[in-house]
Amino acid sequence: MGHNHYIKEAPLSEQKGASTSKTLSAIKSLGFTHVLAVPDSECARLFKAIGDDPDIELILPTREGESIAIAAGLWTGGQKPLVMIQNTGFMEAGDALRGCGLGPKVPLRLMVGWRGYGGAMAGKKPTDSAYTYTEPLLNAWGIPFWHLMNDDDLPALEQMDRTAEETSMPAAVLTGYAFTE
Amino acid sequence: MIERMDLFRAVHARRTNEIAVLTMAATTQFPVVSDHELDFDFLAFGMGHAGDFAMGLALARPERKVIVFKGDGGQLMSLGSLVTLGCYAPGNLLVLMLENRVYDQTGGQPFSERVDFDTLTRGAGIEGGGATGKGKIERIETIEALEEALPRLLTEEGPHFVICPVENHEHVPPVNHSDHAGRIQKLRKGLGVTN
Repeated sequence: MGHNHYIKEAPLSEQKGASTSKTLSAIKSLGFTHVLAVPDSECARLFKAIGDDPDIELILPTREGESIAIAAGLWTGGQKPLVMIQNTGFMEAGDALRGCGLGPKVPLRLMVGWRGYGGAMAGKKPTDSAYTYTEPLLNAWGIPFWHLMNDDDLPALEQMDRTAEETSMPAAVLTGYAFTE
Repeated sequence: MIERMDLFRAVHARRTNEIAVLTMAATTQFPVVSDHELDFDFLAFGMGHAGDFAMGLALARPERKVIVFKGDGGQLMSLGSLVTLGCYAPGNLLVLMLENRVYDQTGGQPFSERVDFDTLTRGAGIEGGGATGKGKIERIETIEALEEALPRLLTEEGPHFVICPVENHEHVPPVNHSDHAGRIQKLRKGLGVTN
């Protein structure tokens, strides 16, 4: 199922993030059945690794709001989906997040690529507004989140997953750098 | 043209253990004839996303048909989802798109007269597509044709995307936006996901 053969590696920024293989192992260890992903360049390697893995179904919707609604349907039907989107798409998907996550208390697990983080940490000006508004927006929604910037941060995935389960509410990790080999 | 309540009555009369995802007018008019534990009111869960939610349900529950009643205005709010259906929709998904050419729920504001849903759905790859490669697009314009097609639509492998031109001359009960979490939990219990 699916049409993942067209996934290619995108140009990656110089600053490297967590290991693709270790991140995939962490995702699998948490029992995710499906990954709903709208590709972004930082996550290109991880998308490819998930697409190549026979144990997880990768679905690539056209927009982030679709991803959240499909994930809510999967969870309602007894599956365990992970939504992987960029912060820009997270901002676009506000109504779906409200309606399919926060309102009905659906424990959506979100992995959000933090566009602008690397540049902001390097002092690049002007600061990307996608960087500026990401954490305030998560706080405004009341969504707990953790940083996943390197292998040392991988336990953040388990914390996010456990919090979503215990609260039956959405929870997120933010990834700021491209995944490494 | 199909009278909308007649469409709901026809589906209710033939439906057994299928999940029914309702949005917009269906959330108030389908319950006039149906009180099934697997009826799910999607209203206020996310504009334009009823079909996406239904696809997730259908993927999660392959043993059970999932019917989604959605409007043409709602479809315009998530046109990209047609492409997603054309790629991933499973064989147990039946989309009934009620076409009345207006945003009915908000007062009947029209959208572009130039929109052609048959062309949009075909361009999105639904015909011959979906996860099964057996996706079908149909336009059903009379209640008699719908009544004849329903036994097949409810049993045949899809996914199916059926466009039904509708009008309404019957009472529309007021909307109910309450208890979103309760609606989800009721459906999960009905499916045996939770106790």
